[in-house]
Amino acid sequence: MKRVRSVAIATVVAAGLALVVSACGGGSSSGGSSTTSSSSTGTLSTATYPTLNVVWGTTDYMDPGLSYRLESWQLFQDTYLGLVYKAHVSCLTGNCTKIMPGLATTIGTVTNGAKTYKFTLRKGLKYSNGEPIKASDFTHTIIRDFNMQSPGIGFFSNIVGIGACEANPTKCKSISGIVTDDKAGTITINLNTPESDFEYVLSIPFTSVVPGSTPNKDTENPPPAANGPYYIASYNPSKSFVLKRNPNWTKDEIPGIPNGNPDVIHGTMTDDLARAAQLTASGQDEYDEDVLPTDQLPHYKSKYPSQIKFWTNPSTYYFFMNQRLKPFNNLKVRQAVNYAINRQQLVNLRGGLGIQTWNFLPPVYPQYKKITPNPYPYNLTKAKQLIQQSGMAGTAVKVYTIGDVSVDLSTAEYLQGQLNKIGLKATLKPLAGANYFTIMGNQQTKAQIGFTDWFEDFPYPTDWFNTLLNGATIHPVHNNNYGNVSIPAQNKAMAQLAALPPSQALSPSTNAKWAAIDKAMSDDAATVPYLNGILTSFFSTKLDVACDVFDDNQDDIAQFCQK
Amino acid sequence: MATTGDEFTLDTAAELAAEEGSAGKEIQGRSPWALAWRRLRRNYVALGSLAVFILVVVACLCAPLYVSHVSHIPPNEVRLGDSVVKNGQKVPVISNGHTKIVNGVPVIQTGGIPIGAQYGATGGAYFLGADELGRDVVTRLLYGGKNSLFIGVTSAAITTIVAVILALLAGYFGGATDWVISRFFDLIWAFPVILLGIALGTALSVNGFHHFGINLSGSSLWITIGVVAFVFIPYIGRPLRGQILALRQREFVEAATAQGAGPIRIMFTEVLPNIASTVLVLFTLIIAACILTEVGLSFLGAGVQAPNPSWGTMIEEGQNQLATAPQISLYAGLAIAVTVLAINIFGDGLRDALDPRAKVRIEH
Repeated sequence: MKRVRSVAIATVVAAGLALVVSACGGGSSSGGSSTTSSSSTGTLSTATYPTLNVVWGTTDYMDPGLSYRLESWQLFQDTYLGLVYKAHVSCLTGNCTKIMPGLATTIGTVTNGAKTYKFTLRKGLKYSNGEPIKASDFTHTIIRDFNMQSPGIGFFSNIVGIGACEANPTKCKSISGIVTDDKAGTITINLNTPESDFEYVLSIPFTSVVPGSTPNKDTENPPPAANGPYYIASYNPSKSFVLKRNPNWTKDEIPGIPNGNPDVIHGTMTDDLARAAQLTASGQDEYDEDVLPTDQLPHYKSKYPSQIKFWTNPSTYYFFMNQRLKPFNNLKVRQAVNYAINRQQLVNLRGGLGIQTWNFLPPVYPQYKKITPNPYPYNLTKAKQLIQQSGMAGTAVKVYTIGDVSVDLSTAEYLQGQLNKIGLKATLKPLAGANYFTIMGNQQTKAQIGFTDWFEDFPYPTDWFNTLLNGATIHPVHNNNYGNVSIPAQNKAMAQLAALPPSQALSPSTNAKWAAIDKAMSDDAATVPYLNGILTSFFSTKLDVACDVFDDNQDDIAQFCQK
Repeated sequence: MATTGDEFTLDTAAELAAEEGSAGKEIQGRSPWALAWRRLRRNYVALGSLAVFILVVVACLCAPLYVSHVSHIPPNEVRLGDSVVKNGQKVPVISNGHTKIVNGVPVIQTGGIPIGAQYGATGGAYFLGADELGRDVVTRLLYGGKNSLFIGVTSAAITTIVAVILALLAGYFGGATDWVISRFFDLIWAFPVILLGIALGTALSVNGFHHFGINLSGSSLWITIGVVAFVFIPYIGRPLRGQILALRQREFVEAATAQGAGPIRIMFTEVLPNIASTVLVLFTLIIAACILTEVGLSFLGAGVQAPNPSWGTMIEEGQNQLATAPQISLYAGLAIAVTVLAINIFGDGLRDALDPRAKVRIEH
């Protein structure tokens, strides 16, 4: 569910190969006097230094219960931990999508036909404010999410007794399916049905445990007390933040979680990509979280070749087509649009930062199987023929897009031009980015076709197909399935795969079934996927780029080391 | 203040009469308009500016001819994948970029840079280069100018007509009518022009305007025209109202009333001619302000809607490519500067010619 302004995100990599083998090895070397210590998940650099200055994109919230932006999540990975976490290791050298025990001693004991998860908290854990971490804080965290109407509450719909909270989120007081014992430090979560992605759900920030004393409202100045190696000492929205070492963090408290190299992290926030890059190039800041401006990419790439890293990330940019509305209720029209899009040209629009795709699922997933041959090679003549055959030639079509992000607007202008070329009568409908997705998610908008993208919440296909293309998840408002895609056979297949026990979630046969769904969506021309995103990491000369650990979704700034 | 030769002059009618008398010529009776023209035609800077403005207007009106005879690229036609022949070689309009994955690491070939100015080397296409979608910059500059000038002039005309009518009503009738109209002026005046324009432009661009039997889609140029015209009403209405309040007390108005003339007749035949020179000057100056406002609104996404070009949208489209394709924004910026400067200099000249002692200004 996480959408980010496509030019403002700048994190990420994911070469998530598989959740099959917990390979570790290789590792990052750190220069100078730094040393390294092995962990079960990789090799962590341990060379402390006083201050790290970074430049960062702006974000929505700095509260783990509310934020749905990569900019915040990248900071949360070193500040807010849940019962489990995704490994802080490079996807190039280890299994970056592996779920590791966080505040809990294990990744959970699964019983009752994969419907009950039991966790035991590690002993002696404290928050940054000195309060002890209690089992009941987990219940408080989930209830708090409901009370704040967090965008993450949809992930908890399978928990027993959640119905009352879903019906009236602000009045949510208890959840019968979550049983905690503060004395024993145990947390038991009961599900209605098995859920193949539940451990991933427990790794996202919406489940990061916050103190029971945290008010059930947006808490940002300062943000809630942390339980990771750092805490957010201050946050000035859209301007700055400061992270400091958590005074109550014990060295190597949680295996695999880095203790952190910088003592203090100062962040300057801006969405001005050129300024962010310049601040880093000049050495004023040491890391640019924003993506490099595409027009200056050749300049930076040639001038600072060893200080820039490019990462594939689990994202897909695509056009939705509303199957409940003319002309996209016609398969031939949807196929025609797919044929009319030259994906390479859309990669060009992003300065080359992208990989063409016609799969919906990104290639970083083990469930991905490239659809070959390309089912929709660029063929304008064929597209025109299909439109003629459909009888929809001359139909008026409104192309929706984000109007205040240049590249998104250009992308939609390209789409509009192509639709006109194949015989439709397209006009452009640019909207402000701030409320674009809300408007698209409202059925009353009757949006026919438009730009959208998707960045993963967690590395499992349910986050893609069940959220975005499942007929069972179509809603009148806050709808993520903009195209109202509903293929009964695929809806059923998705439901079956989502209800598998975690032990079967990554089996080869399960992976093959997900790949089959991807192929079925392509056959139905459900969407027009056109590229998987590439993001950049830009470091100043003060930092040793070799220390950079890009895990499933982002650089781990705690592991940055100096030369 | 009298000057000689071809220098700029601010001569008054009396000074000109004295000048003619001293030269031994018989003093000719001249109308105020003739006197103004005499002053204006000696102001070569103002006339030069007028010529520049007319040149810009004519060039923009010739945009369709430029497309059909020179560039052969319609203003909104996306040509991302096209190439042009230059010196016998095919050159892509937009440089190709791509990413390959080598050992799990993306290797980037940067691209997406539009072709620069060709100055005729490609047979007329891309004379000043392409934008990020492969569209011809000159073509969009001309069509954008057409839109910007049309919006500027039309909204200035609407503003002037509405403001004159309201000022006449307020100044002539006074009392409650004056109070209501003045508060209306104050209300609009209380908002900064751009902020009010953004608020109205954004709101109307979402669903358009569908009231009073008028149906305009959100992308219609008339939405922008209406917004720009609305925000400037008090900037013309208030100074005119003040002038009319003073004229209302003059003897010729009383005389007309005594002769039985009705309010409408007095307003339009007695009062209006006496403020005509002020209206003309304000209209000229407000054109520049309207063009600048349209450009500002379009730049901020609340004016002309993509893919339609305007000078404002062109600057906005090019701002992310200033380093590698400055032509997208640069020439639109130059066009705005030249046009607005020309209008303002001519407007000042016109003001000096019509009433050398006047201090008419558009202030906002």
